[in-house]
Parts: sequence; C-alpha cells; structure tokens
Amino acid sequence: MNFVHDGLAAEFEYVTREGERQHIGELFDSGDALMQETAYNLITGNHNEVSRLVEQALAEGYTANDVLDDGLIAGMAIVGVKFRDNIIFVPEVLIAARAMKAGMVHIEPILSASGVEPAGTIIMGTVKGDLHDIGKNLCIMMLRGSGFVVHDLGVDTKPDEFVDAVMEHDAQIVGMSALLTTTMPNMGVTIEALEEAGLREEIKVMLGGAPVTASFAEDMGADGYGDNAIEAVDRAKEFVEADN
Amino acid sequence: MTIAETMTSRERVLAALAGKPVDRTPVANPTNVATVDLMDMVSAPFPDACRDPVMNARLAETGHTELGFDVISPYFSIIQESSALGCDMQWEQKDNWPTVRMTNPIWKEPEDIHIPDDFLEHPDNQAIIGSIRILKEKWGDEVAIVGKTMGPWTLAYHLFGVEPFLLMTIDDPKKTMDVLHRLEEVSVLFGRAQIDAGADVLTFPDHATGDLVSGEYYHRFLQDIHTEMVEKLPVPIILHICGKTLDRMDYIAQTGMAAFHFDSMNDPAEAMEIVDGRISLVGNINNPVTLYSKGPEAVREEVYKALDAGVQLIAPECAIPLRTKLENLLEIPAAINDWTEAHA
Repeated sequence: MNFVHDGLAAEFEYVTREGERQHIGELFDSGDALMQETAYNLITGNHNEVSRLVEQALAEGYTANDVLDDGLIAGMAIVGVKFRDNIIFVPEVLIAARAMKAGMVHIEPILSASGVEPAGTIIMGTVKGDLHDIGKNLCIMMLRGSGFVVHDLGVDTKPDEFVDAVMEHDAQIVGMSALLTTTMPNMGVTIEALEEAGLREEIKVMLGGAPVTASFAEDMGADGYGDNAIEAVDRAKEFVEADN
Repeated sequence: MTIAETMTSRERVLAALAGKPVDRTPVANPTNVATVDLMDMVSAPFPDACRDPVMNARLAETGHTELGFDVISPYFSIIQESSALGCDMQWEQKDNWPTVRMTNPIWKEPEDIHIPDDFLEHPDNQAIIGSIRILKEKWGDEVAIVGKTMGPWTLAYHLFGVEPFLLMTIDDPKKTMDVLHRLEEVSVLFGRAQIDAGADVLTFPDHATGDLVSGEYYHRFLQDIHTEMVEKLPVPIILHICGKTLDRMDYIAQTGMAAFHFDSMNDPAEAMEIVDGRISLVGNINNPVTLYSKGPEAVREEVYKALDAGVQLIAPECAIPLRTKLENLLEIPAAINDWTEAHA
C-alpha cells in the first residue's frame, strides 16, 4: 500500500484482518492522489465530490476501468469491511452507495460501449412476499461494478419469475434476498422450483439478507451465502472460477 | 404430569411484565402466532382475518385455545395504521403476510404528514379495535389481551420508504426528528384506542434494528420518544425490535417500558445481564430455522436455554412463518411446563 491521502490512510486502519490488509492495501499500491481522494470521498458519502472527481479523472485520461477499480471499488472495499465489523451501519453504507452511483453515471456508458466480456450473468431478486431491497440493491451495485451482468427482478419475486429469468438470460447464478423471517422459507420454495424446472444442476444459488445465515442457506439447499455485498461478489467470483 | 397453576394467564402475564413472581413462566406472542393451519381450523384466512374484526378475533384466540399461550394478540401484521394513512398495500393471500409497498412511499417531507380526523375509523384500524372489544368481553379476566401500535421509526419506513428515510437520518437529522415526532402522534392515537377497547398490554414494534442502524442511533433518535410512550400509553408496553439488539439494550432498559421482545440473534443470558432487572425480556425462540424447519426437540432446547437464562416471558422471536407446524408451537408451553416441574 502507498497512501498519499491522510483521511484514506486513517480509514484503512479499520481494516484489521491480515489477509484483507494485504488484499485491500494492494488496491492503493499506485499511490495515485486523485484515485485516493475519490475513494475517500466515496467512503465518507460525499456524492457530489465523487461525481466531480470521476469526471475530472476521465477528462485527464484515466481509463474507466482504472477509476472503477482504484477509486470506486477500492473505496467500497473499505466500506464493506466497516459494515461487516459494525463500525458503520446501513445509512452510512447507503450514502457511500449513493456516491458510488454518482461516479458510475460517468463510467457505465464507457464500459458498456467497450464490449468487454462480462464476468458472468446473475439473476437477483427479493423473494415472494418480501418488499425489502436495500441489501439486494447494494449487492447488485457491487456485482455490476465487478463486471457481472445482473438482471434485477426487484422485490416480491415469485419462484416462477426466477425460473423464467434464468432461462431467458441463460444465467449461471441466482441470488436471492429476504429481510423477513416470515418470507425466508420462500428461498427454499424457489430452489425447489428451479429443481422442478430442471435448472438446478446448471446454476449456482446464493442467499443473503439480514436474518439469513449460512446454516439456513445450507438447509434450503443453496450453494452459498453472503453476509454482505462484498461477500456476495466473492461468492459469485468463486462460482464462476469453479465453473471455468 | 402438569404443574399446579395458581394464576390465570392474564395474572401471570401482567405479573411477569411487572417483574413480579409467577407460578410458571408465561408463554406469549407479542407479535403473532397465526398460521395457515389455525386459519383453516377456524375459517379465518389472511388477508380477511386482518381486515374483519370478527374473523380477526376468531383467529387471534386460537393462540390461547389451540396453542395454550397466555396471551391473545389480534394485530397479526405491522401494516394496519399505514393502510389507514394511505400507503400502497399488498394484501396477499392466506399463506403470505400483507405488506406495505415501501418502494412506493407516499410522503417525502415532514409537512407532507397528514393524519386524517377519522384515522381511527378506518376499517383496517377498526378491525383491530373491534376485535379487542370482542376478545376483552370473552376473555377479559382470564387471558391478557395484547394490542399493538407501531412506533414512529417503523411507520417512517412504510410512509417515507426505508432507503429515503435512512438517507434522511444522515442528510438531515433535524428533519428526521420532526418526522418521528409527527408520527409519534399516530402511535399514541392507535395505542390509546386499543387501550380504551380493552387491551391489557401493548406491543410497540419500532424496527431500529442492529441490522440497519447502530445502537447510538437508537439512543439519538428514539430513546426519548420511547420513554415518553410510557407516560402516553398507560398500560405495560412491550418494545419489539428484530435482529441484533444487544448494543442498544442498555438504552432500551432505561426507557421505563415494561418489557423488550428480542430476537434469537441475541444470546438470552447476555441480554439478561445487560438489562439487569430494569425491564422484563420476552423471547427468543428462533423462527426460520427452529420453529419452521426443525422439530419439537430443537424447540424445547431453545425454550430451556431462555428459561435457564431467566427470560421472563417465552415467545417466538417475531411473527412466525405462516406455514409453521403446530406441533412446534405446542412444544413451547409443554417445555415450559416440564422445565417448571423439574425446577420446583
């Protein structure tokens, strides 16, 4: 790591696990002041400033991928750690996500036009009977930022809507979210529907949501569980790598 | 063998909420224990049972008559007031919970808040108020009737949308407090109407959960409002917050509320240590894994864990999945009975 921004260096101190310090620290190896300022403003939720800095970087000749990786995703990696470790909570994550979106507005059109092969195709939705979508939306934002094509089915998604979407988009991964203990069983119902449709062997299923646990995901027959958006990206990458 | 009971269910619940001795630990359902099986049993399916006082009462009392719980809780969901205030609703069917479409919020600013003069007359509020009257007349001396009025934080999720409201807490804390104080009026209006109808106790769900916001948030935005509720709603109040709450239990214990209904994500012994007798605890049998997916043995194990910790009222952690097996719910009072015998 090579920090030239004091505020960012202080934020990095929240990353305490050895492996993560190594991994996230490498994202800042270049010591680029503009990217570090972008990451810092993303972490602190200053969306107007992130928008301005991303525009400036692109105008100065940084590639869209550099800004995405070294500014936005690097910043979100620290946000993810702080969230997981209960240093920050959802409101603080939401302002960081808003800042990321403000930066992505400038980057997405360039990435879309570049024709880069996506990392994989994912179907995401909140299960039937559940209208909560904050966690799901954060996961989608991070997955898209990591190069996945994500088809968002929204909230209150019926099992057959997941099935139809997998077939329509030839997806490799299905991600389901639930916030209510009363709707969590619908994750299992959806997995059964994927089995009945003969799709289960072809796809990986990952589950998440505040009350969802790894053991519940296993009980329901899922392939993986993510405690937060960063872990959702990790699971998706693992699935794709295992498939290749 | 059954233990000799010397108190009515109502006496037992009220004593436990007051931190007084009981003949055995009561089994409660501060949120809800309606299931599809119970709906079929008494021909009172969702969503009709949420909107019709007679059906509502018929389904609610099964918590006592069929399951042996010590309370009857007729407000099954968390959406009656929000429906009455004009939220976009999804009433669903028998096997799904009615819910507010929070992605279509109806208000943006504190000045948008409008509580109609006939708010309490709305059919979805009258369904609960009318049901409480019926239940009080039938069960008044025997079983504790537990009403429910939503707290301002939860109402704000429904009326302003979860994401816009949480963003507001950072962008403009003063505006957030204005919203909460205005919505507090809704909580008080509906709560008092239920007390007038005969509610012995009120559950007060206000989902400032550790899965969304910090304990410091609870202290900053809600602790004073919850403390005021104790004066404004003169019956024992059970605060309900799902998810991780250990980091705010000390604040909650300072509010003067009678009890806190807590989630299985929190260790009961640790929770008891934090509240230290200042407030009773209600909980905390896991719903999605234990009550829904496992069998009576696992339920019994969790009941014993809560009883061993000293939890004053045993209950599922929250409203249960509607397809929960009755044998698992019946195991809760059975386990309490056996534990009490063994510890006599």
